[in-house]
Amino acid sequence: MSIKYKILKAIDVAGLNFLRPVILLCYGEEPEEQIRKIGLFIAVPIMAFCLFLYLWGLFAPMHKTKSGEVPTPSVVWDSAKGVWAFHVREKNKANAYNLEGDSRDKLLEQAQTRLSELEPMVARVNEQLAEADGAMQSSLASKIEPIKAELDSSKNAMREAQKARQADLQARAKAIAADDTAAKEKLLEDYRAHLAQIETERESLRSYEEQIDEIHNADFPQRAEAIRAQSAIAEERQYLVKLIDTLENNRQQKLSDIETRLEGFESSYYEASGADLLKHAKSITRTESLMVNAADSEYAKPMTLPDQVLRSVACVFAGFLVASLIAIPVGIVCGLSPIMMSALTPFIALFKPVSPIVWLPIFFIIVGGFIPDPDKHWLIAGLAELPLIGWMKINPAFIASALTVAMCSLWPTLVNTALGVASIDKDHINVARVLRLGFWSRLIKIVIPSSLPLTFAGLRISLGVGWMVLIAAELLSSSEGLGKFVWDMFNNGSSQTFAQMFVVVFVVGIIGLLLDRIMIVFQRLVSFDESPTSI
Amino acid sequence: MEKPIIQLENVSVGFGPESDRTEVLTDVNLRVMENEFVSIIGFSGSGKSTLIGLLSGLVKPDTGAVFCKGREATEPGPDRGVMFQNYSLLPWLTVYGNIELASKQVFPNLSKAELKEHVEHYIEMVNLTPAIEKKPHELSGGMRQRVSLARTLSIKPDIMLLDEPLSALDALTRANLQDEIIRIWEEDKKTVILITNDVDEAVLMADRIIPLSPGPNATLTESYNVGLDRPRDRTTLNHNPEFIELRNAITQSLMAMNAEAKKLRSNTELVMPDIRPLDLSAA
Repeated sequence: MSIKYKILKAIDVAGLNFLRPVILLCYGEEPEEQIRKIGLFIAVPIMAFCLFLYLWGLFAPMHKTKSGEVPTPSVVWDSAKGVWAFHVREKNKANAYNLEGDSRDKLLEQAQTRLSELEPMVARVNEQLAEADGAMQSSLASKIEPIKAELDSSKNAMREAQKARQADLQARAKAIAADDTAAKEKLLEDYRAHLAQIETERESLRSYEEQIDEIHNADFPQRAEAIRAQSAIAEERQYLVKLIDTLENNRQQKLSDIETRLEGFESSYYEASGADLLKHAKSITRTESLMVNAADSEYAKPMTLPDQVLRSVACVFAGFLVASLIAIPVGIVCGLSPIMMSALTPFIALFKPVSPIVWLPIFFIIVGGFIPDPDKHWLIAGLAELPLIGWMKINPAFIASALTVAMCSLWPTLVNTALGVASIDKDHINVARVLRLGFWSRLIKIVIPSSLPLTFAGLRISLGVGWMVLIAAELLSSSEGLGKFVWDMFNNGSSQTFAQMFVVVFVVGIIGLLLDRIMIVFQRLVSFDESPTSI
Repeated sequence: MEKPIIQLENVSVGFGPESDRTEVLTDVNLRVMENEFVSIIGFSGSGKSTLIGLLSGLVKPDTGAVFCKGREATEPGPDRGVMFQNYSLLPWLTVYGNIELASKQVFPNLSKAELKEHVEHYIEMVNLTPAIEKKPHELSGGMRQRVSLARTLSIKPDIMLLDEPLSALDALTRANLQDEIIRIWEEDKKTVILITNDVDEAVLMADRIIPLSPGPNATLTESYNVGLDRPRDRTTLNHNPEFIELRNAITQSLMAMNAEAKKLRSNTELVMPDIRPLDLSAA
């Protein structure tokens, strides 16, 4: 019984109440009622989502854009897998650069074996593609030939007919007397009819051409499949080639190369004498500095989507932290002092509606003023040395984005905290007065705990706002992250990158959902009454 | 003459702006001796809670003064423990936490172990040990009021001010808590001022009962001494002629005061001018 109670309690705190009927069903409590609830809270949402995927898959290909068709769910899913594969491969390459000794040799051998396995497959897919091309060409030809023949024959027929009509009109024109007005009118009318006839004939020819175009544009699944297979194998092949290249030229290899050269220079230095000495000394020192550079060198790994996600989350938390550090104390002061509240109300009202798009350039310039040369600034250098976030390469764009997040997201927390502090129960204050609590213990033991639920409700809204703002801020500031990823994909403009933008939609949504869930848990933990938190 | 432990001298309190002022209490005089159990009884809205506010120092008198142990008291303090009508427990703290907060503040010199023992002692006293780690919202009304009682007792006040502590409870819980308060009071005699609207409760518990005339301009009237022997048994009390007499006397005096107040109130109603709008259409 107590385990069941604990599970239910945990589910409640985590805001996962849709799992409640499942647990109750496992304990055999009112099975019919639980199944009804499972149907309502689990099956219905799943079905709705499936319906959404179906309709998406149905309507998406109907719209053609410059970047190809709007991607269907399966294309987006493939593209998500592609994004992940790219991430894994880049990580392997970065890892390969650091490998030494046996493990390096082993990986090199593995990569070479796989590459040799690939070669026949490359040939096969190329063959398949050629076959598919051939099939497509012949299929096209077989479809187009008859239409073309028809087109040509009708074109000829029309040309003949036109000529005949023209000749007839000319002959009639010659025969008409100067004063035969009726005949002249008739001729004019017939000439007009002749021109109209030509126009309709052209129209009918155009419809043939359209048919041919349509056949050309039609999907040819076999060929699309062959292209996909070929590009997948080509990508893997390219990756293996790069991996082998990295392994053959990794840090250890470079160092040992340089070392042998250095030894050579050193031996020739000690053998030499006179004016040559300085020349050799120069070679030695230059090689030594090369060696230092090689020892510090890293694989230039591009930011992949998972890295960018982590960087975005770090950025939003940095901004959120700054916002909380400002908003909570200011909110408490506002709640305690009507004078402060009155003084700050115009600022809150004025700055709250300002869009992140306006704040970002301002913060960008201000941060740039503090950090004119990022490469040499102590803050940037210091942050790059930190263990967990060093790899993120925190730069002024990151800081500006975080500050924009802070600026836009601090308002809900500030207002809610002020409200929570100001609306403290008078009875609780009376308790504090009877006990003669001092200012600070009154603040810490009575005022802050009683305002915590509202403060956390504010923090939850703030984090949600911050996450939305961040994507826009990154897009604008080119700070590595989800926003920049979308912007890069937009500028790339291929059908593959178009699908990756859809991947980002889901990634952003899922992370936003998780952030909200985390805040709900905190909110539940600090709330002392049983009031339910909205989902 | 013995000195009163707490005393109100010609105290008046009103609320609202000058133009629309409501005098809640007018010329209130009260003297309560040490170890006395005084009950103040009045209709709802007659200013009972304001009276507790005055005694505790949470409300400042407009005129007159409050004396506590011979000195004028202007600020609230733990020497006058208040048990509020709506419990006023801090909802984010457990039963233990609520009592600990009060005890720690009033007895800062207790060691950790002593503090724990002290808090647990008072929780035991009100029979709440099983609920020690519960939060107020998990408790019934009667249990919450017991926590409030334990908190008030735990700061060892010289005077306990009970502001209708039992009025929100059902009859059975109420009787239970009445017995408990009397038991605790008899164990450790203290000065108690109990505000109530229940005549039976007042007669059962108090040494002296002072009716409060209905507001506005409420004031304390002549007090009734309760000569019933302690311990008083609620089961036989209903047949005790002295109890019945006292109860009837107090009830009648309250009813009379109420009727008088109503009469007074109707007299203060505005007299409407006897004029009508001129009917211009007839002219």
